[in-house]
Amino acid sequence: MILTRRVRLVAACATTLAVVVPLGWLWQASRLPRAYSVMDMGYADGGRQAGGPHHHQDSAARDITTLVADPARRPDVEVTLTAREQRVRLASGREIDGYTFNGHSPGPQITAVVGQLVQVRLVNASVPGGVTLHWHGVDVPGGEDGVAGVTQDAVRIGRDFVYRFVVRRAGTFWYHSHQLSHEQVAGGLFGALVVRPARPQAPLDVVALAHLYHGIRTVNGSESDVTVPAPPGATARVRVVNTDNGPTPVWVTGAAWRLVAVDGTDLLGPTAIERAAVLVTAGGRADLEVTMPSGGGSVRVQIGGPLSVVLGRPSDVPASARPAATLDLLTYGTPAPLGFDPAHPDRAFRYEMGRRPGFLDGVPGLYWTVNGHMYPDVPMFTVADGDVVRMTIVNDSGEVHPMHLHGHRAVVLARDGVPATGSPWWVDSLNVEDGESYDIAFLADNPGIWVDHCHNLPHAREGLLVHLMYENVTTPFLIGGPAGNSRE
Amino acid sequence: MRIVYKVLAYAVAVEVAVQAAAIVLAIAGLGKWVSAGNVFDKAVMESDDLAFPEVVGLIVHGINGGLVIPVVALLLLIVSFFARIPGGVKFAAFVLLLVAVQAMLGYSGHDLPWVGGLHGLNAMALFAVALHAARRARPVAAEAPASAAV
Repeated sequence: MILTRRVRLVAACATTLAVVVPLGWLWQASRLPRAYSVMDMGYADGGRQAGGPHHHQDSAARDITTLVADPARRPDVEVTLTAREQRVRLASGREIDGYTFNGHSPGPQITAVVGQLVQVRLVNASVPGGVTLHWHGVDVPGGEDGVAGVTQDAVRIGRDFVYRFVVRRAGTFWYHSHQLSHEQVAGGLFGALVVRPARPQAPLDVVALAHLYHGIRTVNGSESDVTVPAPPGATARVRVVNTDNGPTPVWVTGAAWRLVAVDGTDLLGPTAIERAAVLVTAGGRADLEVTMPSGGGSVRVQIGGPLSVVLGRPSDVPASARPAATLDLLTYGTPAPLGFDPAHPDRAFRYEMGRRPGFLDGVPGLYWTVNGHMYPDVPMFTVADGDVVRMTIVNDSGEVHPMHLHGHRAVVLARDGVPATGSPWWVDSLNVEDGESYDIAFLADNPGIWVDHCHNLPHAREGLLVHLMYENVTTPFLIGGPAGNSRE
Repeated sequence: MRIVYKVLAYAVAVEVAVQAAAIVLAIAGLGKWVSAGNVFDKAVMESDDLAFPEVVGLIVHGINGGLVIPVVALLLLIVSFFARIPGGVKFAAFVLLLVAVQAMLGYSGHDLPWVGGLHGLNAMALFAVALHAARRARPVAAEAPASAAV
């Protein structure tokens, strides 16, 4: 009897261990070191294509801090941005807890002309977690990308960091912190960066930064419509920037309009849009060109629905429901040569997103996967300077992901196998719905170590983030460590 | 151990009830908030902030369903190995299985709403099985002495 009871007890203990030990092992294995280099993270994925010409960098390793703009050149645009943690006063007078640049959120708009050298000094006055500045959509040199733990250490309180880069492409961009970004961007550490062409495009130029502060919807920090006086017949360019974590639709009532640029690249041959909305993904930008009615009248550009930019008088043009159709950029505008041949890439990568239960840094949950692997065991896409790169992005994760590649713009070749037939559609932030697959291509012409992540920023924190690394580029910075660089 | 088994099994049932209450609280709060003229969209949905107070129902539902209930169900299974309740292991395993299915249905429902409907039905099954398991742990005529080994 006693023997039977002992055998039972042993069996119960053994079964318990059989359940607990694998879980404990998974938990232990998921714990991240206190400090680690992204260079040691995950596994290398060379994506080499047979037959293609291979570019080799046989030169010595290059430290990412040496990848900067010409240090001898004098800046054309100089700005100092001081980051603070403080109460933020919205345009309506309402105050919220958040962060500011130079006392305001959004931060000051930075405007430059194409070809100019922009120099921004970032000062951290009081943000406890440290800050950085990422130039979203601008193909800055590798050392100026502003990703804490990859291209620099987070700027601690009392410290500063100077960013220098030449803006080579006219368009709508934005800047934001890339340290604890899921919290700092939502809290207000962002602003607009507009690069104008040498010759002005439209007499009326309006920037509209859409942002949600603690559930309060704003455009340019205002809880009410942004009203801009506009004479009849005038042409206006409205630059919509989505600084939130989900895609938002934009549509126009009261005038003919066209979508003239996406993510800082002009579209070719954009036609008038009737009864359709444009979907601007998280982190993405859409430039709308609106021609004011010649006989007078006002125009309403609705962003997400509740808030608008009104050109003219708001009472003249009431809000309307979102049009049923959404503009498909796969077929919008006229095609043109890309400047490189994506049919014969040097590298081809697959970026397949999924989701499964597991542990991330010891915390159980349902986490994103890349090619079946969970962070930090994700692929490190490796390229050489000059490579033509193709990437297939597949979303099988159950949710939409706005995929953002740093340091490059990529062109959309196909969606779900259907080739793009419209204007070259260049993106840095691509809305990939659940069940969709995109084929994109880009020229690897900007050496560095670049994050390629979901711009639903909490998702990046949850591990939906990989790196694109150039051969022989190294970084001395660490995730974690004394600087407290967040892994996003 | 019997009593621990019973408490854990009842805890699963109570947690299922809490889940039902929490999700309806959130949906009702959302309805009220939208009726007041607010707009719910992806930006609000993906925001970490509480747009309306009843969002707390969603947070409770997420933490309970994603973490607390699976842990309780796992503990129930472990305890069942020691509790020597007739069919105790079987029903604890059944509870854990239903919890796993429930979590899968819950997350799949984000993209396939009809699966969300099954999530609601499976909750009832889980509630019933958890109650049944708890009732099996009632003291019988000759209850075995509690094991001191754990």
